[in-house]
Amino acid sequence: MTISRMLLGAASLALIAGMAHAESGTADKRIALSNNYAGNSWRQAMLQTYEEIGKKAVADGVVAAADAYTTSENQATEQAAQIQNMILQGYDAIVLNAASPTALNGAVKEACDAGITVVSFDGIVTEPCAWRIAVDFAAMGKEEVDYLATRLPDGGNLLEIRGLAGVFVDDEISKGIHQGVAEHDKFKIVGSVHGDWAQDVAQKAVAGILPSLPEVVGVVTQGGDGYGAAQAFKAAGRPTPLIVLGNRQDEMKWWAEQRDANGYETLSLSIAPGVASLAFWVAQQVLAGEEVPKDLTVPFLKITQDTLDESLANTPEGSVANVTYSLDDAKKVIADAK
Amino acid sequence: MNPLSKPWIWSWLAAAGAFALTLGLTSGRGAGELGYAALSFGAFAAIVGLGQMLVITLGPGNVDLSIPATMTLAATLALKTMGTVEGTAFVGLAVALGVGLAAGFANYMLILLLRLPPIIATLAASLIYQSLAIWSNRGLRIKPPRELADFATGQVMGIPNVAWAGLLLAAVVWVVLERSVWGRWLLATGQNTHAARLAGIPVEMIRAATYLSVAVFASLAGYLLASFSGGAALNMGTEYLLMSIAVVVIGGSSIAGGNSNVPGVWGAALFMFLVVSMLNSYGAGAGVRSVLTGTIIIAIVIAASTRRVRA
Repeated sequence: MTISRMLLGAASLALIAGMAHAESGTADKRIALSNNYAGNSWRQAMLQTYEEIGKKAVADGVVAAADAYTTSENQATEQAAQIQNMILQGYDAIVLNAASPTALNGAVKEACDAGITVVSFDGIVTEPCAWRIAVDFAAMGKEEVDYLATRLPDGGNLLEIRGLAGVFVDDEISKGIHQGVAEHDKFKIVGSVHGDWAQDVAQKAVAGILPSLPEVVGVVTQGGDGYGAAQAFKAAGRPTPLIVLGNRQDEMKWWAEQRDANGYETLSLSIAPGVASLAFWVAQQVLAGEEVPKDLTVPFLKITQDTLDESLANTPEGSVANVTYSLDDAKKVIADAK
Repeated sequence: MNPLSKPWIWSWLAAAGAFALTLGLTSGRGAGELGYAALSFGAFAAIVGLGQMLVITLGPGNVDLSIPATMTLAATLALKTMGTVEGTAFVGLAVALGVGLAAGFANYMLILLLRLPPIIATLAASLIYQSLAIWSNRGLRIKPPRELADFATGQVMGIPNVAWAGLLLAAVVWVVLERSVWGRWLLATGQNTHAARLAGIPVEMIRAATYLSVAVFASLAGYLLASFSGGAALNMGTEYLLMSIAVVVIGGSSIAGGNSNVPGVWGAALFMFLVVSMLNSYGAGAGVRSVLTGTIIIAIVIAASTRRVRA
């Protein structure tokens, strides 16, 4: 009696385990996040999103582990070593925000050869065996100018605030902006500075170039620099131009204040840090045996005059507007790419 | 006496040159604006530069690489403590300076007790400070109280308040270095630590005081910068690492120590802002800008040091 009950128990346990396995197929898989940098609010929001979704996925039994690792010095060599450690630790998949599009290719190839799924996002890698979740940064830059063209039909002088010199993303967004200006030839870029995606650096650079500039009607930015630009215009006693923003909470708050005071209207766009959660689900889908195209595109998060209040309410003080992607979102992105 | 024999004159000449070249583009328009901006932003570089100058004066191998992390940690904790509540500016300042003292003390203890070279000690410590800053607030940007923000972006008699703070600090450092026994001790230590020790100078006390000063200056700069730019960000200190060393060298202080130069630090701080503004105004790309900035810095350093040798 006791023995048969035990057998029954064991059998039903096996059955349950088998069912769970059939449902996700990844319950025993371990996914690691390799991140190259944590020193700004965007990366912090990214890590938090990954942590939340990872914890939930582990609790739900979708995966066995979803750990996050960040290198301290933002160096490709350091991250390559980190990836090699992950190979030794036996992870099944690595979700990767890379310090360099090419310098990690060797380590990524080693991981692939060891049978590990590598999904790169935001900072993508060019190694063919890895998956890439990229943002069409050039389109983002172009959209800024397209928007300005609808708001300022007479055109005028633009100030461009770029990101960190020498970084792929900076070149791409700037390329899109210049493409947009070539199309809307009523606009002219009269000045270009590097704001390093940081408000204080942007503020400093804009304050330095403003005295030599004629009247500026619009500012095209890359995110994390709009508020600093606004401060610099204010300090110089110039009228506030149309500044395209980058989804930071302080930018949105400033926008809402200006809107309430004088009807200020603009557009805000950037990639949501939650793209890490999308990468996580893509990795899970690859591990589950789904066929996933190697190149995926994630839409950028756009905030307009109509959605400003909602986004502002949903964004923690001092953080950046975010969306957390679900498994269904990932499936949709995969289906769109097929 | 030939004014060109003063090593600090070169950074001021360079700053004036960059200023004039920028205005040449606008035929004189915006001079006040540019000068005001240079004083505002130069103040932060000058404050951290003064601190770095004291450390470098201590002699070969002495440098504080934890300045950016100390700035970030001090600013983050100060702004978190104030939490945008009015009337807390002095509490925040006390927190910031307290963080500076603690960081300076920790740096010095690492150097003294573990006998680590200052470069290694301060670099390692900076990782800890930066991690503490991340851990304490996860990168969220808290706004300064309105009155403090108004003060930091305000002006008195046409000079930005932050520049007043930087100028006052420079004056204090100058008096201490040039007119006090402590300053003489510091210079003597920097010129020859061994001789200084034999002469009965309390070398370790001087070193401790110097490492405390630089960290306190960095925390003050962080506090002011965060108040000025609308909140502390995790990457706010990044550019002040090289900046703090550059303004010391351009300012005419000897990188080998034992010879410091307060007016030069301010000239160099203004120059570092103005040269970027000038190159931006002329539309130079990032690559050209870096190359030209580097070339100009080397030229100034050569000019300043050659003159010193001849004098």
